[in-house]
Amino acid sequence: MNQQNTISIPTNDPFGKATNGKLGMWLLIIVDGLSFAGLLIAGAALRASSDSWPIAGELLNIPLTAFNTFLLICTSFTMVMALSSIQRGDEKGLKTYLLYTLLGGILFLGIQAWEYYHLIHGGFTISSSMYASTFYVTTCFHGLHVFSGVIYISCILWQAMQGKYSADNWDHVEILGLFWHFVDLVWILVFTIIYLI
Amino acid sequence: MDKNKQLYIRTAIILAILTVLEIGISYLTISRMGQIVLLMTFAITKMMLVAWIYMHVQHETKTLKWIIFIPIPAGILFTISLMYDIPFRWVV
Repeated sequence: MNQQNTISIPTNDPFGKATNGKLGMWLLIIVDGLSFAGLLIAGAALRASSDSWPIAGELLNIPLTAFNTFLLICTSFTMVMALSSIQRGDEKGLKTYLLYTLLGGILFLGIQAWEYYHLIHGGFTISSSMYASTFYVTTCFHGLHVFSGVIYISCILWQAMQGKYSADNWDHVEILGLFWHFVDLVWILVFTIIYLI
Repeated sequence: MDKNKQLYIRTAIILAILTVLEIGISYLTISRMGQIVLLMTFAITKMMLVAWIYMHVQHETKTLKWIIFIPIPAGILFTISLMYDIPFRWVV
């Protein structure tokens, strides 16, 4: 008797077409998001239990940081355009938009370093007050994420220059995009809570 | 210009406008609570826009959407558990 054996390949239905790498990045984002939540909530709890808390606008350079926020929004746009380009098979577009995102990230870090330099020279150091500690720990933690993102973009850009990505192979660009947008998304909350409220 | 690019540009413009409005609100002389509620509403709107459009959450499956959004109530519970006593401090 000729028995036909069929092998059933397990499908990843609950997650659609999401690759393991993409799911892994989402898990990292969730865990990282909770780390940021921990820092922001700890800051809020300290603030609520403190008798006096400085007004951010009197100590920090709000217009400069607002520009940095705008810059990060622009890099989110260039990142999503990089993915959109390679999905259409436009390798040149991918490289150009990744380069813009990389430069935006570097500029963001440069502005943050400049801000720290002036604050520290003005006597506002991490040990100055509870407010200063909250400010430096939260913004520095975010800055490290931007720095990691810049390195990550450089690696993907390098691979893009070697011609690794195409209309059929753009998973890594999508995963990088998720990380970079998360960095932008978290900054929106950090900017509001640390600088504006 | 393709439709996706138009959507991404429009989103970036909305995000920039919301940021400018947020800065404006921070200088307004309204009640502190009103200011906090307005600023947090704007920030959450911006975050949702980034997640929904730039991170393409809108195209993900229901299961993944649940996994992504479940930590939000967890964060709220965390906040409440850390600061539940604050309203009572002014009473005592």
